[in-house]
Amino acid sequence: MMHRVELSNISKSFGGVTALKSVTLKVMPGEIHALIGENGAGKSTLMKILSGACTKDTGEIFMDGAEVHIRNTRDSKKLGIGIIYQEFSLVPELSVAENVFLNQLGETGMWMKWGKMKKQAEEIIHSLGFSINPALRAGDLSTAGQQIVEIAKALSENVKVLILDEPSAVLGPQEIQKLFAILARLRKEGVAIIYITHHLGEIFQIADRVTVLKDGTSVESLRVDETDRDSIIKLMLGRTLEAMYPAHDPVIGEEVLKADDIYLADKVKGVSFAVNSGEIVGIAGLVGSGRSETVRTIFAAERRNSGKILLHGKEMRLQSPRNAVEKGIGMVPEDRKQHGVILSLTVKQNISLTGMKGISGWFGFIHARKERDIAMELIGKLAIRTKDENQAVATLSGGNQQKVVLAKWLNRNCSVLIVDEPTRGVDVGAKVEIYRLLHELSDKGVAIIVVSSESSELIGICNRILVMRNGRIQGELAKKDFSEEGLLRLSIGATEAIK
Amino acid sequence: MKRALQFVVTYNTAFIFLVMLVVSATISDVFFTPSNLFNLVRQVTPVGIISMGMLLVILTGGIDLSVGSIVAMVGVLSALFTQTMPLPVAILASLACGLVIGSISGYLVSMHRIAPFIATLALMSIVRGLGFIFSKGAPVLVNENATALTDFGSGNALGIPNPALVLFLVFAVTAVMLRYNVFGRIVIAIGSNEEAVRLSGIKVSLYKFSVYAISGGLAALAGLITTARTAVGSPVMGTGMELDVIAAVVIGGASLNGGKGTALNTLLGVLILGMIGNIMNLLIIPAYSQQVIKGLIIIFAMLLQRFQGNSK
Repeated sequence: MMHRVELSNISKSFGGVTALKSVTLKVMPGEIHALIGENGAGKSTLMKILSGACTKDTGEIFMDGAEVHIRNTRDSKKLGIGIIYQEFSLVPELSVAENVFLNQLGETGMWMKWGKMKKQAEEIIHSLGFSINPALRAGDLSTAGQQIVEIAKALSENVKVLILDEPSAVLGPQEIQKLFAILARLRKEGVAIIYITHHLGEIFQIADRVTVLKDGTSVESLRVDETDRDSIIKLMLGRTLEAMYPAHDPVIGEEVLKADDIYLADKVKGVSFAVNSGEIVGIAGLVGSGRSETVRTIFAAERRNSGKILLHGKEMRLQSPRNAVEKGIGMVPEDRKQHGVILSLTVKQNISLTGMKGISGWFGFIHARKERDIAMELIGKLAIRTKDENQAVATLSGGNQQKVVLAKWLNRNCSVLIVDEPTRGVDVGAKVEIYRLLHELSDKGVAIIVVSSESSELIGICNRILVMRNGRIQGELAKKDFSEEGLLRLSIGATEAIK
Repeated sequence: MKRALQFVVTYNTAFIFLVMLVVSATISDVFFTPSNLFNLVRQVTPVGIISMGMLLVILTGGIDLSVGSIVAMVGVLSALFTQTMPLPVAILASLACGLVIGSISGYLVSMHRIAPFIATLALMSIVRGLGFIFSKGAPVLVNENATALTDFGSGNALGIPNPALVLFLVFAVTAVMLRYNVFGRIVIAIGSNEEAVRLSGIKVSLYKFSVYAISGGLAALAGLITTARTAVGSPVMGTGMELDVIAAVVIGGASLNGGKGTALNTLLGVLILGMIGNIMNLLIIPAYSQQVIKGLIIIFAMLLQRFQGNSK
């Protein structure tokens, strides 16, 4: 049987950073093909190439045996390739019906055919086994509802290949089951489905075959019924879990930071916890559980509605991140490129952003030598791979960019460090270095809060994990009780970690 | 050849400046005479002074449309002040008026997050109106006894017109601040990624406020100097000047999205724009055609910069 889509020896680099090295992926019609790999392994880049959102450097793409050239998203659409991104691409202000036919609005003539459009949108959504009023504003739908509209949008164009980029990350367990039902139906209709995920459980539930990507290369393609969890993990990591997370036994001192009954609009509802010196506390939870909002509130990046924040037992009046930083709190934000680094500035300029006072003298003039020395020291200490301190951060790899963000806070000797998704989009090597760095800081007595969607990461580096759900702390796990299953159970609403 | 092209693309502002210089000198015998060059420098001085404040505002990702109106209002007020106050007080009061107007824009933008375009558009209208109200719609003469002011405006030092020296001073301070000072560094950083700067523990609103206050203050300085040079404060002066200033900053390679731009290139942008007007006057090209040609040259400069962006 001929492959529906075949990506052959695809390579791609951004600036000096190689994202993909001759990756091969073959998908049959009527197959659900899982694509798995760590963050930064190249999954999303590969799919962006297939969907025309970026172009390959070398390699070939075949559809039904014939070579095709995908230069932009229009090309891929014409070929019948539909993609549903992790971040939805709906226009929140438009109606469901308009969103479903968004890509075809220009092709149906000058005038909007409202009646026909609404009817067809309703039909497509209905065929997926749901009913959504097509006149609703897309922005008013729940996350799951929006995803259904996304799928309907892809199906409105007769897709032959449907790509889903971590669709389960934003869905609850029941919604995931509904999604699987839709995918099973589409498989029967002969659609080739590429399913990106990093939840191993889902692969065994839905996929026919799986391709593992690691550091930008395709390691292996396997039939799901001929493999098991452990072999996939080994292929993904290229090493065992123990090597990823070095052992660490910190000296835990007295309480440094305490959050007392924090409220933030409808995002955080009465969260209280404390972190001691030298302790690494993890915060787990699904997307939308209020993890990031909680730490952003502690850092005063969000203005809390009520609640107290105590540092060394004293209540702090934190009004803005500036106050928090002055009191010795640092935060590595979730979104590195939007909030962490300034891409157009140099490594040196990014690092000194948190320590302007230390490098400037009379009337705010910058001591160039001092600034350079501090930057060079941190570049060396964190092993940031950069040509020199004057290289623009935009040209660094994700892992090195993240190290620059960490360097910003090392520059300040914080007593509390909050890291939100510290290793998202970071290659394995840099990951291990970041974990080591966090351990080193903990040894120095820094109180550390880690927010992460990767349970294995939290289990690997934390001393204690809080699990959040719907803006509240659902449960807390001590190190001896850590398990991925326990974290998942709490994050989906169970009151106990163990059955 | 390729390297020469690369050079042109990288230093496009300097390149356009040199081309303009050579072309102007070739097509007009008068261009390179001292009297014409002085004339040119005097003409560009108000736009040049304001452009440095505008550069700061644009670096933060904002825009200031009120500067032309401030020139007029302060021009009028400074003439009025000379009639009632001692000269030093009149000068300080005039500059303070610009600072206050700029501070209002800065307050609206930084504390109430009103879009800079809208906030300064409103002030542009208000301040222009105030200029007419204060002057009762007619030009106001500077007090005959305030000769120190008018002498300064029309005089020279070291053979260079005084207003040009003021422009150079403003330029030098801006250039130094942007390169060697925390203020300049943070202004550029804010324009590149405001949220990252905020999350680094820096009080963004203070810096955003400051750039508008500075822009207003420099516009007032330009208004004062114009009045000093002509001995008259007129409520119609500076009409449309904000657009010339923005054009100069943009020809100088600054990005309206913020984070990109230098003082030197902005000064070159001002001179390029000034030379276009100057040479066309020398060639006796009618005013209407001048506007068309000016627009075309701006488009050409922008296309050259796009080319730079793409080749990277």
